[in-house]
Amino acid sequence: MKHVSKRLIAGAALLAIAAVSSPTWAATPNDQLVVGTSLAQVISLDPQQGSDAKTMEILANAYDRLIAFNPETSEIYGQLAESWDIDDTGITFHLRDAKFASGNPVTAADAAFSLVRLFKLNQSAAAGLKTFGFNGDNAESLIKAVDERTLRVDFAVPVIPEALLYRMSNGPGSVVDSVEVLKHVSNNDYGNEWLRTNTAGSGAFKVRRWSPNELVLLEATPNFWGEKPAMKRVLFRHVPESQAARLMLERGDIDIANALTAPDVRSFEGKEDFVIDKAKTGGFYALAMNAGREPLNNPEVRRIIAAYGIDYAGIAKTIVGPYGRARNVPAPQDWEGAIENPDWSFRPEEGKELLAKAGYPDGFSLTIKTIAQPPRVDIATAIQANLAELGIKVDVIQGSGAEIVAQHRARDFDLLMPQTSATEPTALGSLDNFTNNPDNSAAANNAGNFVWRSDWDISEMHALRVKATQELDASKRLPMVEQLQKDFIASSPAVFPMFERFEPLVLSARIHGYDAHPWGLTRLEAVTKTD
Amino acid sequence: MKDFSLLDLGKRFGQLLVSLFLLLVVTFVIGRVLPTDPVGAIVGELADPATFAAMRARLGLDLPVYQQFFVYLSSLLQGDLGKAILTGNPVIEDLAAAFPATLELATLAIMLSTLIGVPLGMTAAFFRDSWFDQFARVISLVGHSIPVFWFGIFGLVVFYATLAWVGGPGRVDIYLEGLIEPRTGLLLVDSLLAGDYEVFWNAVSHIILPACILAYSAMAYITRMTRSFTLEQLNQDYVIAARAKGASNWRIVTGHLLPNIAVQLVTVLAISYGGLLEGAVVTEVVFSWPGIGQYMTNALLIGDMNAVVAGTLIIGLIFMMLNFFSDLAYLMLDPRTREVTA
Repeated sequence: MKHVSKRLIAGAALLAIAAVSSPTWAATPNDQLVVGTSLAQVISLDPQQGSDAKTMEILANAYDRLIAFNPETSEIYGQLAESWDIDDTGITFHLRDAKFASGNPVTAADAAFSLVRLFKLNQSAAAGLKTFGFNGDNAESLIKAVDERTLRVDFAVPVIPEALLYRMSNGPGSVVDSVEVLKHVSNNDYGNEWLRTNTAGSGAFKVRRWSPNELVLLEATPNFWGEKPAMKRVLFRHVPESQAARLMLERGDIDIANALTAPDVRSFEGKEDFVIDKAKTGGFYALAMNAGREPLNNPEVRRIIAAYGIDYAGIAKTIVGPYGRARNVPAPQDWEGAIENPDWSFRPEEGKELLAKAGYPDGFSLTIKTIAQPPRVDIATAIQANLAELGIKVDVIQGSGAEIVAQHRARDFDLLMPQTSATEPTALGSLDNFTNNPDNSAAANNAGNFVWRSDWDISEMHALRVKATQELDASKRLPMVEQLQKDFIASSPAVFPMFERFEPLVLSARIHGYDAHPWGLTRLEAVTKTD
Repeated sequence: MKDFSLLDLGKRFGQLLVSLFLLLVVTFVIGRVLPTDPVGAIVGELADPATFAAMRARLGLDLPVYQQFFVYLSSLLQGDLGKAILTGNPVIEDLAAAFPATLELATLAIMLSTLIGVPLGMTAAFFRDSWFDQFARVISLVGHSIPVFWFGIFGLVVFYATLAWVGGPGRVDIYLEGLIEPRTGLLLVDSLLAGDYEVFWNAVSHIILPACILAYSAMAYITRMTRSFTLEQLNQDYVIAARAKGASNWRIVTGHLLPNIAVQLVTVLAISYGGLLEGAVVTEVVFSWPGIGQYMTNALLIGDMNAVVAGTLIIGLIFMMLNFFSDLAYLMLDPRTREVTA
């Protein structure tokens, strides 16, 4: 026994020596920014393909767009475009003198190639601009390089020019180096296969290394047209586990954590070495009901669920926390033209009575499908508990994004919790996801459209929204936008917002100049670090 | 007798191939009948149905499942495991990049768990029902009962965040990323080959905690099994005879006991090693370890079935090979087998 104990102690001592003999870490260097995040959804670095928020942050620094949106002032400012002229039929952009990371000059031909490429690829990234009438067939005739520095974009349909500019300032409007991309075209793919894993932009950084599920390393490029960034390297490190990210931030191994759970975000409250920030994305955590199925095809049942059956305030306080706030109108409450929230609150007894009057005294059973990630699973579980008090039995079905989105697109659900994103900071733009459904028939198969997925026929509201998008006089447009929101609330919507969606993040107080962009397009060239 | 052994080997190899084929069929069919759509991950949620259909056709997903299977099988026989949606790379390249990280972690874990678990189990058996035996049993029980996730977080809080004894999540500190050109993919080996001891020690500081946590759960099993094997042997006549002849405990262990439990131990270690290779998913997620577990988890989340099927096949193959080699070891280590073969 004595010998055994000695051996055990010796073994433990060896382990301890191995552990402590390693160097302790230093704080991240002042010329390197390290972001702890989840890279699970980063599956393409092609700016005309990738649409995930984390992808956007990487691409926003590797590519420039013609124009960009300043969330502080809500103004559009030029990136590659020094100025632009708006007339009745289109917009003319005048480009600045700039070079790509490759050394090639940025020309209007590159800008035209990039935008046309967006519509030719015709993936999710194109959806925002396609609502303005652009498509793969007309893009080449509408978007043209006039000369080396002048790009002309003609309107496809009557549009509000500011709305088009907002959407062009999104990530898919990034300008790629057409000379480089064209060297790598295969099978008529517009260089997509190559651009998925390579970058060809004119931003302050270029992607030096991308190891899926591990890291993305950006390196400052000497060819950047703007002020030289203080960071030589920016490293996005895949840290999927929130508590691990929290510890890394506390120890100084990462500078920013932007995939933390609500409790981990709260753990930094009151700590002077850290700053809690949030990007108000303009999107929502929504609830979709399948209006093509019993009993959700009954508008009264939908109204009871939405207006009486869910404890929005309670869920916002206990679950959503820094991830958002309660909101049922499909326009964020801070945006111009947004109306007041309706009086929708958790009133189970009244809801139960109304259900009985609607012909369901014994309630009924439903399923709610959600992607298995916070805070959506917890919200779904809370809704399950809330609706149980109205006599509605709900089974929660969790799945991966690939599963749940496929079922949403196929109208295969009772209740489902999607999340939406914004593409322009206006109430009208926000209404796109909730009041847009040109043809509800199954044959239309408009699976990219959230309202169509809920099998919700809204021809009148759709017509009013289209009319509003073509009204150039803001004073006439605003009443239409307000009316649309009122109509929406009164219509027992089959897909409606529950919570405005925020992206919380925690920064080390050493970081300065990091302004989280609502759409993930945070530029890093102005970021600095202090000791 | 030699002919019989070759025939036996051949049979076992045949069984291995059949098992692999069945694994392929089951994994492939499950992957294709799941209500998941990898196309959405590529073209995006808001793309229109025509784009979905075009991409589905490009990936061959518009074909009936049996045709997809034969296409996959014929590619597989030519060494092509398909392309990963997640990365756009051939799956075989992705697996070759991710597997060394897991191999390094699991190998260190099995070494630690063996070095500690076997002596612990044998000692516990020798001093049956003593305080040491009770201690070993509690240690085993805790290792079995507490989830690896909890251990991982606990380890990070104590050894990384509080005591600062070890490096944090990831294989190496951020400022050392990308300094070593991968040769074997095993960072400890590559950094030594490159003569970069700073990276080596840094990598040691990063791997030691996840390896210990993985090792602990494996050690619990190894300790328990070793104790049980040893107890069984301690009651045998040859041990009593050795004691009567005045042999020391050390002599009894090394000269008599170990050779007799070696066969069973090899099987336990092989199973544990296989389990560590395929079961490191949670540890990899907690420690941001870019290994095969994390690769397959992400692949599964976006419905990247080429990656999932290939990863499952590789892990299945490793598991079967470990079993195959433990069977071979059985032939070599069992004295009775040796006699028959001779």
